[in-house]
Amino acid sequence: MPSPFRLGFDIGGTFTDFILVNSETGEVFLNKCLTTPDDPSEGVMAGLVPLLDEAGATGEAVDIAIHATTLITNALIERKGARTALLTTEGFRDVLEMGTEVRYDIYDLFLEKPTLLAPRSRRYEVAERLDRDGNELVPLDEEAVRALAPKLREDRVEALAIAFLHSFRNPAHEQRAAAILAEMLSDVSISLSSAVAPEIREYERMSTTVANAYVQPITRAYLETIEDRLKQMRYPRRLFLMISSGGIAGGQTAKDFPIRMLESGPTAGVLAGIHYGRQIDIGSLVTFDMGGTTAKIALIKNYEAAKSNTFEVGRVARFKKGSGLPVKLPMVELIEIGAGGGSIARVDQLGLLKVGPHSAGASPGPASYGAGGAEPTVTDANLVLGYYDPDFFLGGEMKLDADAARYALRQRLAEPLGMSVEDCARGIFEVVNQNMLAATKVHIAERGEDQRKFYLFAFGGAGPAHAYELARALQMRGVIVPSGAGATSAVGLVTAAVSFDFARSLLARLDRIEWAEVKQVFDEMAEEGLGVLEEAGVARDRPDVAVTHRMDLRHKGQGHEVTVVIPQEAFEAGSLEGISRLFYEAHREKYGHAHENLAVELVTCRTTVSAPAPDISLRPVAAEGREGDAVKGRRRAWFAEANGFVETLVYDRYRLRSGAAIEGPAIIEERECTVVAGPSGRIRIDEYGNLFIDIRPDAGAEQKEARDATAPA
Amino acid sequence: MDAIARDGFDAIELEIRWTRLMTIMDEVDAAVARTSFSTIVGESRDFGVVMMDAQGRSIAQSQLSTPAFTITLPATCKHMLETYPAETLVPGDVLITNDPWLGSGHLPDLTICTPVFHRGRLVAFIGCVAHISDIGGRSDYLDDKELFEEGLRIPPTYLTRAGAPVESLFDIIAANVRVPRLVIGDIHALIGAERLGAERLIAFLEDYDLASLEGLARTILARSQAAMAETVATLPDGHYAASVEADGHRRPIRIAVEIEIAGDRVHVDFAGSSPEQEDCSINCVMNTTFSDSYYPFKCSLLPHLPNNEGLTRFLTVSAPSGSIFNTRFPRAVRARSKSSFHIHNAIYAALAPVLGRQVQAASGSFWTLVATGTWPDDEPYRAHMLPNGGKGAVNGMDGLPTIAFPYNGTITPAEIFENHAAVIIRCRELIPDSGGAGRFRGGLGQRIVFEPATERPVGIFVRPDKTINPPGGALGGLAGRAGRILLNGAPAPHEPLTLAGGDTLALELPGGGGCGAAGDRCANALRADMDAGFVTAAAAIEMYQASLE
Repeated sequence: MPSPFRLGFDIGGTFTDFILVNSETGEVFLNKCLTTPDDPSEGVMAGLVPLLDEAGATGEAVDIAIHATTLITNALIERKGARTALLTTEGFRDVLEMGTEVRYDIYDLFLEKPTLLAPRSRRYEVAERLDRDGNELVPLDEEAVRALAPKLREDRVEALAIAFLHSFRNPAHEQRAAAILAEMLSDVSISLSSAVAPEIREYERMSTTVANAYVQPITRAYLETIEDRLKQMRYPRRLFLMISSGGIAGGQTAKDFPIRMLESGPTAGVLAGIHYGRQIDIGSLVTFDMGGTTAKIALIKNYEAAKSNTFEVGRVARFKKGSGLPVKLPMVELIEIGAGGGSIARVDQLGLLKVGPHSAGASPGPASYGAGGAEPTVTDANLVLGYYDPDFFLGGEMKLDADAARYALRQRLAEPLGMSVEDCARGIFEVVNQNMLAATKVHIAERGEDQRKFYLFAFGGAGPAHAYELARALQMRGVIVPSGAGATSAVGLVTAAVSFDFARSLLARLDRIEWAEVKQVFDEMAEEGLGVLEEAGVARDRPDVAVTHRMDLRHKGQGHEVTVVIPQEAFEAGSLEGISRLFYEAHREKYGHAHENLAVELVTCRTTVSAPAPDISLRPVAAEGREGDAVKGRRRAWFAEANGFVETLVYDRYRLRSGAAIEGPAIIEERECTVVAGPSGRIRIDEYGNLFIDIRPDAGAEQKEARDATAPA
Repeated sequence: MDAIARDGFDAIELEIRWTRLMTIMDEVDAAVARTSFSTIVGESRDFGVVMMDAQGRSIAQSQLSTPAFTITLPATCKHMLETYPAETLVPGDVLITNDPWLGSGHLPDLTICTPVFHRGRLVAFIGCVAHISDIGGRSDYLDDKELFEEGLRIPPTYLTRAGAPVESLFDIIAANVRVPRLVIGDIHALIGAERLGAERLIAFLEDYDLASLEGLARTILARSQAAMAETVATLPDGHYAASVEADGHRRPIRIAVEIEIAGDRVHVDFAGSSPEQEDCSINCVMNTTFSDSYYPFKCSLLPHLPNNEGLTRFLTVSAPSGSIFNTRFPRAVRARSKSSFHIHNAIYAALAPVLGRQVQAASGSFWTLVATGTWPDDEPYRAHMLPNGGKGAVNGMDGLPTIAFPYNGTITPAEIFENHAAVIIRCRELIPDSGGAGRFRGGLGQRIVFEPATERPVGIFVRPDKTINPPGGALGGLAGRAGRILLNGAPAPHEPLTLAGGDTLALELPGGGGCGAAGDRCANALRADMDAGFVTAAAAIEMYQASLE
C-alpha cells in the first residue's frame, strides 16, 4: 500500500494544530483541537482520528509524522523538569550560580535572577582537569566518581549534567565519568557538556547541559507515549521532531538532546515562511507571528533562516536580555517582543501611553472578552478601530463586547489623558506597532540587513491585523498572509528537511594552527551528522545530502565573532590564509571595516548536515461560493494614512479566488485571524491562495502621521 | 503634571518619538559592542552611548550604558562646545577628549562626540565614552602621584575634521599605548557607531519633517524633570549626614556627606571628606563626584524611567576644592573609583531612614586583575579579568552573589582567560559566610585561585578594594566579609606580584553587606542558606543567634 501522506502536528500552549498532506496530489487537510496539558497525547488522538477520516487514510498511509511541541519550553519556564544534579570540575560548581556577573538592568536595586535548575546542594565536584588544549593536567578521580553514586541515589537525583572545564577540546573525562555512573545508576539520565554544547565559555555550556538534563526524563517519557499512540493508529515508522535549528531529526536524537527542541513550534512557523517563499519565488522574508502575549520575528534571506547560537529561557524580567537562563544552541533566531492581542495599555509617570509587556493573557483576557478584564488591551483597541467584527471573532466562536472595550479605554486612558476613546485606541495600535518596529529594526540592523528588501510574512492570531502598518512603516516591500494562516507552523513541519547543526569550539589563531587539526573537528561533526541523518532514514551516501561548514572568526583580541560560511572549494583547498581573507571580507561587509594586519582567531567550528527539503506543492484551497459573495459587509475602520475612520469593505477570505485583486482599504476575515490593509495597499490572491498586500512605495515613512496622504484611489 | 499639559505633545506621539530616539541609541550600543576590539569595551561593556541635543544636553541613552558615563558625557560635550562653538563645527567633524576634568575622571575613558547636522544646522550630538584597553602611563598606577604619570592626555580636539581623519592624532595615540591595534580598533568602532547613530537620527527628523530636535528635547527634559521633582518632594525635608570609611590606598579615606532635602531639590556636600591624595591616584574630579552622587537617587527614586539630563536637575553637588572629591590638576586620578564607588554608601547611610525599601547595603565591588608575561613561543600576552564581589542586600531582598554595584561588567570566563594568559585557574567559587548577616543577607563574594600554566613567570597586578573596611550593612544589617589577597596562603602585599612555578595566588572578593537586623531573618531563609552552604552552622549561631536543634 502506498503511503503518500506527511503528517505534522504542533502542540502549542492552547491549541494543537494538525496538517496532513498528500505529497502526490498536494491535497491538504487541517485540523485544530485544544491542547490537553496533562497528557498531550490525548489531544493528539482527538485531532488525528477525524483528520485521517477526513482524508480517507489510515495510519499506514502516513509516510512520515513530524512533531513540534512547547513541552520543553514550558517545562523549563514552569520548572516542571526532573530533579537534576551537576557534576563539574573541582572548584567550579558555583559558576552556574555566578553567571556572567552582569546586571541586566543598570538601575534596578531589586534585580532578580532566575531560579537555578540545579541548586547548590545538588552541584558536585570531582578532581580532574584539562588545559586549554585538552591535555590532562589532573587525572579524573574515578574513585571519587564512584563514591558519588550513592549520594546521587540518596538525593533522589533523576538527571545528571556533567560539565568539565575545556571538555569541548577533549571529552574523555566527561565520557569516563558518565560511563562509571551510568553503570551504577541505570535509571539516571546523563547529559555531557561535550555532547550537548561543546563550545567555549564554561558558564553557558554548563547552563545548557543542565537544562538538557533537566528536561530529558520527561521528554523521553512524553515521546514514548506519543510514539505508542501513533503505533495504535497503525503508523508504522518512527516519530520525527522539529528541532530549534530548523531541521528535523529522529526521535532518538530528540531524546538525547531534548534541549534542541526548544521553541520547535515557532521555528516551524519560520520554516513555513521558507516553504511559501519557495512556492512564490520570494527568498527574503521577515516572519511575523503575533499572538496573545508575544510577537515573534525572524529573518529569512535567500530561503535560509537566520540562526543564532544563544538563547535565553524563562526571562524573569519580561523580555530583558540577560534575565533568563542562557542556552547555547544552534537555533533559528527568533526575536520575542512583549506585544500581543492581550498586551495592556496604561499611562506612565511621564504621561506617556505605554503598551505591554504585561498581558491580560487568556484569562481574564482583554476587556472585550467580557470575562472580567478591566484593562484596555490591543485587542480592545483593534475592535474600537473597526478591525475586528465583534460577532466574528475566532470565526464567530467568540463574541467580543465592544461596549466593554470602550469602557476600559475611557476609564483607564481617555479620561486621564483628556483624549477621545478613538484617539486612545489609535494610540494603542500605533504604540504597540512602534514597539515591534523598534525591536525589528534593531534586530535587522544587528544583522546588517536592509528591511526594505524584505516582505513581511504574517501569521498568528493578531499578526495579519498589524502587518500592514508594520510593513508600511518599515518601508518593506509588502505583506504576505499565507493560505491557512491559522496552521502555519504545522505547514512548516511537513515541508522541512531532515537536517542537524553541530558546533564545536577550537580556539586558535588561523596562522598558528594546522589545517589538519581544524579539518578533523569538521570531519567528526560531519560524521556525526550523517549518523543523525541515518537515524532519520536518510542514507549517508545519497548525492543530495549537503554538508556545509562555517567558522566563528574574529580579529585576535576582538570580543565578538562573525560566522563565516566556508565554501566547498575553500574547504577542499584547506587554505587557512584563504579563510582569513573570507573573514576580512565578511567583517568589512558587515561592519564596514576590517583589519588585515590583525591575525584571525578561530573560536568555533560549525557544521550543518542536511537532506533536501521534500518537494511538495500544496494545492490551494478552492474558494467556496461565488466571487461576488466575497464581500460580506462594510464598516468604518481607522487608518493612519487617512487620519481617521474610513468606510471599509469586509471580505470573506474563503471566497476570494486566485487572481482576485482588491484596492485598500480592506478587511479580510478568516477563522483564526483578520487581515487589515490600509488605503495604500493593494491586495491580491495568488494561484496558491496566498494573500499579498503590495504597498505603494511612496506610502513608506515610518510612523509619520501622514496626515496629508492621499485617500484610496 | 503642569509640564505635561503645556508642552503640546500628546501621550502617543511623544511615546513613539521618544522610543525611537532610545532605539537609535540601542542600535549604536549594539554597533559598539559588536565592532569593538578590546574585551574591556566589547565583553566587559565598559562604555556608554548618549544622544545629546545641540546644546549638549542628554536626551536618550542605550539601555545598558555604564551609568556614570551617561552623566559625564553631556558635561564633556558642553566643554567641547566651549572650545569648538557650534558655528565652527562642520559635517564630518568628530571631537575627542580624555581630559579627566572635562571628561569622566581618568585618562583611559575616551569621550568621542559626533555633531549631527540636518538641513545645514547642528541639531544634536551622538556621543560615546569608552574605557579603552590602554592609554599609556604606569602599569602600577595606584601609586601615581601626578596625572603626567598616567598616560596620554588629549585635550578637546578633532579626531576627524570635515570627514578626514586627523592622522597625526591617530599616530600620536598609537605611539603612546601598549596595544595600539586594540586602541585604534576601538576608536574606529566608536566613530563608526556614532556615524550610524547620526544617520538614524537624521532619518528620524526627516520622517517627522522636523528642522531640529529642540521641541522634542525640551519636552523630554521637562517631563523628566517634573517626574523627578514630584518624587523628590515626597521625601521629608531635612538635613541628613553620614560618613563612611574606605580602604583608600596606603591609608584609609573618609567619605562624608551632608544632604539637604528641601522641597523638590537635593544638595549633597562632601565637606569633611578626606583631602586629595598626593601619593596615589584615587582622586575624583567633580564630574565623577556628581555622577556617582546621582546614581543612588536614580536607582532608589525612579529606576524605571528612561535616563536623561532632566532627571538630574533636582540635584546639586559640592565638594571643597582640594578634597578627594574635587581634586585639582595635576593630581593623579587613574584609580578614582576606589573613592567614587563608595559615595553611594555614604548617601544610603544618610538617607536610610527616609528611603523605605529602596535602601541598599554596601556591595563587594569589582577588582581588576591584569596578568602579563610571555607564552613559551615568546609571544607576549596581557589579559584583564574584572571579577565582582557580592551585591549588598536591599530592604526586601537578599544581595545577589558576585554582582558589582555601582560598577556593572562581565567576568571573563576561565576557559577564555586561560587562552589569553598562561595561567591555570584552580577554582572560582562562592565564599561561605561572606555575605553580611541581616534580615536580608548580603550577596556572597568569590574566591579565584591562579597558578602559572608554564615554567615562565606571570606578572600579576591586582587592584583590590574593601580588604580593610568591609562592605557595610544597612538598617542594622552586618557588614559583608572583607576581601583578601593570598600568595601561597599568606596575605600578600598590595603590590605588583610575580608568580613563579608552584606559586598560587588567591583573590577573595568581599561579600555584600546585610540589610536589617540579623535576628529578624526568617528561619526558613536561614535554613535554606545553611542547606546550600551559603551560611555555615558556626556563623548561623554567631551572626544570626540561631538556635540549632
